[in-house]
Amino acid sequence: MEQKDKLFKEIFDSNSKKIFHLCYGYTGDTDAANDLLQETFLKVWQNLDKFRNKSLISTWIYRIAVNTCLTYLRSEKRQAKDELTDNIIENKIEEFSEKNEQVALLYKCISKLEENDRLIITMVLDELPYHEIADISGISEGNLRVKIHRIKQKLTELYNQYASV
Amino acid sequence: MQAFDQIQELWQKHDVAVNVSADEMLQQAKKEVNGLKFKSALNIIGMLASFIAIAALLIFFHFESWTTYVGISIFLIAILSSTIVLYRDHRLISNKDFTVHPKEYLKNLKAYQVNRYKIYNSLFWVYTFAISLGIVFYFIEIFSYLSMFQKAFFAIFTLVWMVFCSTILRKAVIKREKERIALLIEKLERISSQIS
Repeated sequence: MEQKDKLFKEIFDSNSKKIFHLCYGYTGDTDAANDLLQETFLKVWQNLDKFRNKSLISTWIYRIAVNTCLTYLRSEKRQAKDELTDNIIENKIEEFSEKNEQVALLYKCISKLEENDRLIITMVLDELPYHEIADISGISEGNLRVKIHRIKQKLTELYNQYASV
Repeated sequence: MQAFDQIQELWQKHDVAVNVSADEMLQQAKKEVNGLKFKSALNIIGMLASFIAIAALLIFFHFESWTTYVGISIFLIAILSSTIVLYRDHRLISNKDFTVHPKEYLKNLKAYQVNRYKIYNSLFWVYTFAISLGIVFYFIEIFSYLSMFQKAFFAIFTLVWMVFCSTILRKAVIKREKERIALLIEKLERISSQIS
């Protein structure tokens, strides 16, 4: 048990920041990102014994985080309660603006993307290797390259569109 | 005009702070489950305290009529049986750590939910009947020591209190506990369903 605790702490310390970034990019909300981070690592803790080193542990954790993010907002109850990410971002943008207008704008643009695209682009922005993103998102590497190219274009367009307003 | 590289640079420069440690995270997750466990334990402690207080009547007081002893015995049997049922349910949610055995815990939590419904429905009325019978026997002797005003006061107070417990309080407790357990099950199911 102690060994599991120690291993878990090491895994948490080396991955939590990136996972939080992913969750934050997906929701644009600190509290929601914290909830998702907690759920993700809870699943990691519960399933640590089942991890068989077939993939990198970071890939495995990312996959869990992506599933967690997707399930989180798809829950009808939560959608009704939080009125989807767009609104959260809209509400948070004023808090951001003084600190970092550009970052706030970036989160807003990410929130305009489709759910899956949002998760893929956050992994691209975090410079995860393509084969890992393909593994996590369950898309073939060939298709993924095309998809990423399209999402990059879309995000850049959105960003420049909003920045010029 | 910004290119994607610049957007990426902006993203990577934006430092995010994770405000929770691994220990805190696990503790937070256990907190909700422990809350339910604590409430269930408190319930049992309350019942045991009632048992001891009523049993003390038998030890420290002498009653003239056999009906008083029957009344007190009915109270004690009803309270002890209910405490045993509560303890069995408590064990369901306390003998598995949900962060270690999530599936078993979820299974037990569902069984706990069903048992709670039984307690608040069928078992509650058996308990109420036993307590009412106990009160009737107990008051036969006690009432002989009281004035008419005191008799009326205790009789009305007991009746109103039992009606209040069986209606408003019972419904409120069922509603609150139903929501609490259902939410916990929903959350644990969401967590468990995404991995296996």
